[in-house]
Amino acid sequence: MRAEATQISAFTTAAAHALCFAGLAVAHSLAGRGILVSDPALALRLLVVCEAPVVIAVFSYLRRDPRSCSFFKAAARGLIGLPVGAFLNAFGAIVLGAPVGIKYWTVTIYWSLLMSLFTFVPAACVFGTSKIDWQNVLSHSIYFTPTDIENYMISAPCHGAVLGAWLGAWPMPLDWERPWQEWPICVTYGAVAGHLVGMVVSWVLIAVHKRSGRAKAD
Amino acid sequence: MGAAVARWTVAAVLLQVAGLSLFLYGFFPVKPTLRGFSGTESYRMPSCGLVSAGEQEPALPPDQLRSLYGELFGMPPVYDRLVLMVIDGLPAEFVLGRGGKPPSKEMMESMPYTQSLLAGCKAVGYHAKAAPPTVTMPRLKAMVSGAIGGFLDVAFNFNTQAFLEDNLLDQLHRIGRKLVMLGDETWIKLFPTLFARQDGVSSFYVRDTVEVDFNVSRHLEFELAAKDWTVLVLHYLGLDHVGHIGGRRSVLMTQKMKEMDDVIRRVHAASLQDNLERTLLVVVSDHGMTEGGNHGGSSYEETDSLALFIGHSVDRPHCSPYDQNEALQVDLAPTLALLFGVPIPKNNIGVLLRELLNSLTDDQKLRTLELNSWQILRLLQAQIPAFCLEDCINSEHGLEIDVHPESIEKKLCQLLSKAFASHQYSRVHQGFDFKSAEARYIGIAVDNYYGFLRYASEWLSHKATDKPFYLLISAILLMTMSCLCLMGTVSRVFNGQSLSQADHHSESYLNQHWHLDEVFILTGIFLYVISLGSSSFVEEEQYTWNFLTSTLYLIFLIKTVQSMLKGSSSTLVHRAEGESSDGNKELTPGKRDGYKLCTVLIVLVAGRVIRAWHQGGINWVHFPDISKLLAQADSSIVKFLQTISVLAVVALYSVSLMLLRARSKVLIGVWLSHISCGLLVLLHIWEDQINTTLPINHSTTSTARLFYAIASVSISATLLASPWIFPVYSTEAKPASSDSNPVKDTDSCGISNSVFLTGITYTMFWCLLQLLLQQPINAIPLLLIFLQTVSSVAHFSLDKTLHKQWVQVIAMLFLGMAGHFGLGNTNSLASIDVAGAFIGISSYSTVLSGILMFTITYGSPLMLYLGMVVYISVNNTDDISTARQLTWSYILDKMVTLPCLLPLLINSVALTSYTIVLLLMRNHLFVWSVFSPKYLYVCAATVCTYVGVLIIAMTTIYTCAVFSFRAKSYRDKFH
Ligand SMILES: [Zn+2]
Ligand SMILES: [Zn+2]
Repeated sequence: MRAEATQISAFTTAAAHALCFAGLAVAHSLAGRGILVSDPALALRLLVVCEAPVVIAVFSYLRRDPRSCSFFKAAARGLIGLPVGAFLNAFGAIVLGAPVGIKYWTVTIYWSLLMSLFTFVPAACVFGTSKIDWQNVLSHSIYFTPTDIENYMISAPCHGAVLGAWLGAWPMPLDWERPWQEWPICVTYGAVAGHLVGMVVSWVLIAVHKRSGRAKAD
Repeated sequence: MGAAVARWTVAAVLLQVAGLSLFLYGFFPVKPTLRGFSGTESYRMPSCGLVSAGEQEPALPPDQLRSLYGELFGMPPVYDRLVLMVIDGLPAEFVLGRGGKPPSKEMMESMPYTQSLLAGCKAVGYHAKAAPPTVTMPRLKAMVSGAIGGFLDVAFNFNTQAFLEDNLLDQLHRIGRKLVMLGDETWIKLFPTLFARQDGVSSFYVRDTVEVDFNVSRHLEFELAAKDWTVLVLHYLGLDHVGHIGGRRSVLMTQKMKEMDDVIRRVHAASLQDNLERTLLVVVSDHGMTEGGNHGGSSYEETDSLALFIGHSVDRPHCSPYDQNEALQVDLAPTLALLFGVPIPKNNIGVLLRELLNSLTDDQKLRTLELNSWQILRLLQAQIPAFCLEDCINSEHGLEIDVHPESIEKKLCQLLSKAFASHQYSRVHQGFDFKSAEARYIGIAVDNYYGFLRYASEWLSHKATDKPFYLLISAILLMTMSCLCLMGTVSRVFNGQSLSQADHHSESYLNQHWHLDEVFILTGIFLYVISLGSSSFVEEEQYTWNFLTSTLYLIFLIKTVQSMLKGSSSTLVHRAEGESSDGNKELTPGKRDGYKLCTVLIVLVAGRVIRAWHQGGINWVHFPDISKLLAQADSSIVKFLQTISVLAVVALYSVSLMLLRARSKVLIGVWLSHISCGLLVLLHIWEDQINTTLPINHSTTSTARLFYAIASVSISATLLASPWIFPVYSTEAKPASSDSNPVKDTDSCGISNSVFLTGITYTMFWCLLQLLLQQPINAIPLLLIFLQTVSSVAHFSLDKTLHKQWVQVIAMLFLGMAGHFGLGNTNSLASIDVAGAFIGISSYSTVLSGILMFTITYGSPLMLYLGMVVYISVNNTDDISTARQLTWSYILDKMVTLPCLLPLLINSVALTSYTIVLLLMRNHLFVWSVFSPKYLYVCAATVCTYVGVLIIAMTTIYTCAVFSFRAKSYRDKFH
């Protein structure tokens, strides 16, 4: 564990996640029920617009190196990270079989922006260009070996979103003829659900980590 | 360890083969069918001994044949015209009630005319039990041929849907009767050339319940007025569609039944206008439906189909129309055949329906029963080779003997001789006795005939559909044992490896905990096995494989990025490691990372393009994809793409031969032959363009044959020669080898070079062969699959510590399966490319074209198996060169164990689990349409695995054997 890193508390993490969740909830209440199925582009746009400022602000505030890096610099990192992460997510989705027809472009862009907010932007805001931290985000070792609270905070929801989206894609080829089987509706449901589960997992991990840390201290 | 592993593997494979063949035998019984059509011989008593198939009768013109049949039969036909009205999916319960009770009042009221005929004893109705699968086409076949076909009969007729077996309609056509068909186009698929007039409606639009039937009824007025036809087939689909939409209790049901009743009234009224009453109206349904309106399985609701006869021969003074009058659907064929004076179809297992013979004299009745018995007897003789009537008669004397016979054969024998004897007896006593006594003898004879016919028919039908449950269970047990055996072997190999690794390598990091890709592979295989239980996932399997494969390679991408991040943060360690493992290759870590990234990206992007090439599957097959786009475009574009693919393959081969840095005549020879093969394929492509109109073109045939010859000669030459051209010992090590341990200094480069040469030759020639055989549209996907293979091998060889060896092998297997579907294959038999199977074959040969068909269908998995040979050669050099106790058996062990065991294990898991799925689904609605075709694919994939593993094992073993022999003789020379 690094000495110079500001230790953020479990409470801060919970608050940050609660704010992100609030962003999602506001978007959902603005959109109304069922709009994701009837007009996915509109619903995703609302989600991105509501979630982006919240995520960038919250995680820029929680940046890893507050002394050497100002809030605005972190926010700028997040803003740059948004399209980069969107590109990576879109690449992954298309490689996995997302349709590339012209009529899907807008939803794919909005979806990948949303995924970027779930995965790439928080890490970009908090970690900047620290390679070792990025490597931690990519690996799954955080679930086995104790690490920083930031890692838990960033990694678990990010992994949850990706895993949820991946699982959400499974019903797509089935012949149930339901409207929500269209790209990217069920994938979005899966991603949001996974993201929320990931938040809960990160709290649990932090709590476990704290207890073991205290036990070690005794 | 190697020998034990090999022994266990072979044992497991043998167990699997045994289990699989047992299961196939139990689940898809192949009944011996008689070929050809019944002719005049059916009016003679079947003789003993072998059934001679060669007795070809001279083909008589229809009129002569008709009079000949009449003469032989000894009675005129009972009817002149037949109206066969098929109401698709109508359960007999709707018309005849159930369990001796009449149908509900609502149902009675919805078919007033039919019910009045039944009540007035002008019609006779049967619950005609249909055999599963209760879907339209097999049921129509059963009705007209009287035979219950097995699944494999359907499966192996995939190149034509036309019905080739003996059947009623063809028999009527042969004696010059004119046939007219209105309704479901399945009839036209079955009999493409038979009908004088036809109007097929598609059963594809299940939502439509009105148009389908209107399209049939609109012709009714014209056809009923026309006098030229003998057989009019009316097939109404609407009621089936009503069921599919709303189930049995749909609000549309009564309305639809009223409509059907109206059709019956019109047809019957028209037939009554002929004063002679020579028209028989038969109302049948092909199958019933479940409460929810579906069908396909074997429940009572689905198999309870209707057979209703309206005509003069069923008129009788008294009747109770709602008795549970049981019959079989197949009984229709012999009954109609004899009523219309044609021979009974050869493979019929049906029995004459008693009430239809009411108008016949006693003599005629017995004659028809005799003909039916002779026909069944012929069929029995095909099933039980030694079965013979004369033996039966000789062994039994008189009518009184009634011991309990021990075998079915004896029982059949007894019943048969009893029937014929009583017939004979009644014939002898004709006219001598009082009328009452005569009637009694005849009654006894009729009963005896029915006793034999029912028993034989039941036995024959059980033989065709029964699934011996215990046999299937024991087959599955055998397969499970084989699967467990393979698992045990693999885990033993892993344990041995981790032990030896602990000895050699200090980096225990690799074995510390499970990696993401390893966890994913296990999860992915688990998910795949689960998905096999769902018919929708089986139908759309291409999504599953593409998804799993791309995810696996995305994980590789993440791991690569991760290692790059780690590498640049701790460059020192990496550089040291890089230098030690690289040796001869001059790659900086940065460049190496770039290559690693590029190769994974190539695999991912190529995989996406392959996915987009064919939409595939069953349900969304009409969606746009690249192949449909190209099919619409100019054909020269496709030719251009084909040419590019061929040139790319040839160029890549030249490059890879250059990599070997060895000058040898063999190498140059193989290179030249590859180029010439490429030219031949190009020639074939361009010739094809000029002569697309001719189906079999002689110059293209000779081109393809020349290709086969050159390719097979050069591949076998390479395989045999390659271990001899590379040095056993490296030149630097030569002086030292004379005194120190000679085996240690063995140049492992030689052996890997030689395996590399063989592998790359296999792969490249396979590519050209595929480019020759596959549809032109598949050229680019083939090239892409090939690129994926090469990129994967390159990726794995660039950094051997990144993924474990078993992960790499399984990744290649996944690529093979994804490519299999990427080439347009699906899990329905319809997607098999039959046209390509005749390239280079001038005369029809089932074996050769079968091999070609297999080659085309499994082109992609086999390409990956051949690529695995290349992979073996480039991937094991380090392990081998750093190992301390270097022996040939150790090298062989290292090279061949995992690439052979893992495909076998994966295939065994898939096969065993799918077999269990099939057994569980044996009563499922889609068992014949979805699950059984998929099972044939799974079996073919098993064969493909065996072939691939055999090639890998044989190549490496041969190469190692030659090298060890050469090393030994070299040592002997220097000592
Ligand atoms: Zn039907
Ligand atoms: Zn149907």
